[in-house]
Amino acid sequence: MSDLTNIVRKELKELLTPGSVISVVFMMVLFAMLGGLIGGEVEKAKVLPAISIVDGGNGEVTLPDGGTWSLEKSVESIYLPSIPEGASISDFIIELTSKKTAGGSIDYADLQSQMKAAGTACAMIVPQNFAESISGKTQAGLEQFYIYEPTGMFGTAPSSVAATIAASLNSMLSRALLTEEFGPEDYSFYINPIDTGSIGTMVNGNYVKDVTPGAIANQVSSQTMLVPMVIMIIIMMVGSIVISSMGSEKENKTLETLLTMPIRRTTIVTGKIIAAALVGLIYGLAYMFGMSFYMNALTSEITSGVSLESIGLGLGLQDYAFLMVSMFLSIICALGLCMILGAFAKNNKSAQTMTLPISILAMIPMFIIMFSGWYGSSALVQALLFVIPFSHPMIAVEALMYNDYMLVISGIGYMAVFAAAAILVTVRLYNSDILVTGLGQNGFVQKLTGRK
Amino acid sequence: MDNGTDAAEGRQSEYALVLDGVRKSYGNREAVHGISLAVRKGEVFGLIGHNGAGKTTTLRMISTILRITSGSIQVCGYDVATEPDKVREIISYLPEDAGAYKDLTGRAYLDFISKFYTSGEAQKEMCGRGMEIADLGERIDSKVDTYSKGMMRRLLIARAVMPSPKLAIMDEVTSGLDVINAYEIRELIRDIANSGVTVVMSSHNMFEVDMLCDRVAMMDHGNIILMGTPEELKQKYNAENLEEVFVKAVKNNERSH
Repeated sequence: MSDLTNIVRKELKELLTPGSVISVVFMMVLFAMLGGLIGGEVEKAKVLPAISIVDGGNGEVTLPDGGTWSLEKSVESIYLPSIPEGASISDFIIELTSKKTAGGSIDYADLQSQMKAAGTACAMIVPQNFAESISGKTQAGLEQFYIYEPTGMFGTAPSSVAATIAASLNSMLSRALLTEEFGPEDYSFYINPIDTGSIGTMVNGNYVKDVTPGAIANQVSSQTMLVPMVIMIIIMMVGSIVISSMGSEKENKTLETLLTMPIRRTTIVTGKIIAAALVGLIYGLAYMFGMSFYMNALTSEITSGVSLESIGLGLGLQDYAFLMVSMFLSIICALGLCMILGAFAKNNKSAQTMTLPISILAMIPMFIIMFSGWYGSSALVQALLFVIPFSHPMIAVEALMYNDYMLVISGIGYMAVFAAAAILVTVRLYNSDILVTGLGQNGFVQKLTGRK
Repeated sequence: MDNGTDAAEGRQSEYALVLDGVRKSYGNREAVHGISLAVRKGEVFGLIGHNGAGKTTTLRMISTILRITSGSIQVCGYDVATEPDKVREIISYLPEDAGAYKDLTGRAYLDFISKFYTSGEAQKEMCGRGMEIADLGERIDSKVDTYSKGMMRRLLIARAVMPSPKLAIMDEVTSGLDVINAYEIRELIRDIANSGVTVVMSSHNMFEVDMLCDRVAMMDHGNIILMGTPEELKQKYNAENLEEVFVKAVKNNERSH
């Protein structure tokens, strides 16, 4: 038993290095933070979002028994149970009046600006002939109108809520009407007095019919999820390639040899980075190709087949070029960081733990982009995302869809500066003793650890 | 001032390597305490001393990969601290227990290295010279991964010598080798020295140093405690071999501290 304890103790001592403990604690904090972020999103999704009722006055129906049924009141009755304490119903149901275009149809652009001012993203438009149709025992239309806002995974809740409310209204009105005697020919009207099939969404200022924000979001996320995942995988993979290559170069002293030959330090560093970045890009393209098949198979059944191209959210050739540049630069940044970390690795084994910070840095933006997206994130989270160079290609997909070229280009600029700085720091490290002696011989570290 | 320049030129012509008051500190710990020595061109110079005496640190400073804390090192007149690029063109360094890129064959490794020095026909010639020195026969086309320690050492010595450096620096070049392999490597070093290359080598093996080196310096705790030809040292200490000299010198040094 004592032999076993002896071995276990020695193994634990080897495995639980300060580096590994710190990274585990960091992971814990990271996931706790992500939990908070997701929790917040879910919490936001749980409370019914505010809704606008457009031309609600048209929804006053005189029932056959002489009573009245009010659409607005009915919506209120749906909202009342879920209104938080201290809040007023008027914060959740905002009445608006539509304007007509010259052609007599609803001016959706004006409606969008009214809704933006009121702070709602979904509306129900009650047509002028609503009451009239019901009295005439024909289905009345009730149009759902949305403003598509880019958000994360849980940001699409409003579209399902509005649809649910429309369905509830349908059954409420049906119940109200069912007090009347009716013949078999009227059956379909009485159980479905409201036609909830009319849906429209404003996307980037264009009115798109028959599409819900949920369907768009599904399609968008099936596209935008792919890149963050691929980027994370490539960065982790290429990072570990470079770091372990540094580790084995140190172990075999091939780097030490190379540094005594007539080769410029910048050439050695840049050569290593370029080769690994090309490998990373090839991996990346292969993964994207493979995974896009996988994602298509996974999502084609679920999504309503919204074509992003047709609603102005598609990516053009130029967008793909931006994306490639962004991806390549982020790989270079990752490699630059890996070279810096690799310079501190003593051997192959210690090099492996050095990949952890890189993996964590790649995971943070991936999770944030997947859960709340760039546009759905708070300013603080956006600042955090911007600072991490690996975020930029992940952000770029979304930004390019919304033609936010400023964001993409500033990201590319930031990454270029970051990569250059990382290469310069690496070259400096290559010129210092640390590469050969490791951190243990560094005066600062000696002071820190009290060891000589 | 003029005299100093003359002296430097004089050194340039006679010496391949000059260390002047060289110190090296790692943080608060000083590993080399101001050593001075000069190695003549064409000489085989041995640094001997126990583990941690400062031999490897000294060789690494000469090889431009560790910065000198104070003092100066000149290789064929070039200052290691201010003209490292010039120095790298004329030296070859073979670290202790070094390896090569495992996925390459011996031939590919020599080819890879020679391309840093020259190109075209000259490069092919250099590579050919390397293969000749390595003398690995058919195994030159095997992956380095499959080499024995002795074969690896031959390949690395070939790598170090094929660019015809002015100064070859070898750290514990025969450590861990069996008798036959060590003997062959020593023969190889003798050939290199005969071809006019200055060799500075470190070793624990006093017998080897006695046989190979024209002059030796003994290091102890970062100081040079003895320097001279093996014969001079043996006479001075009235010893039969360098091992005895070394033990006596170290004990003397301890007593005087």
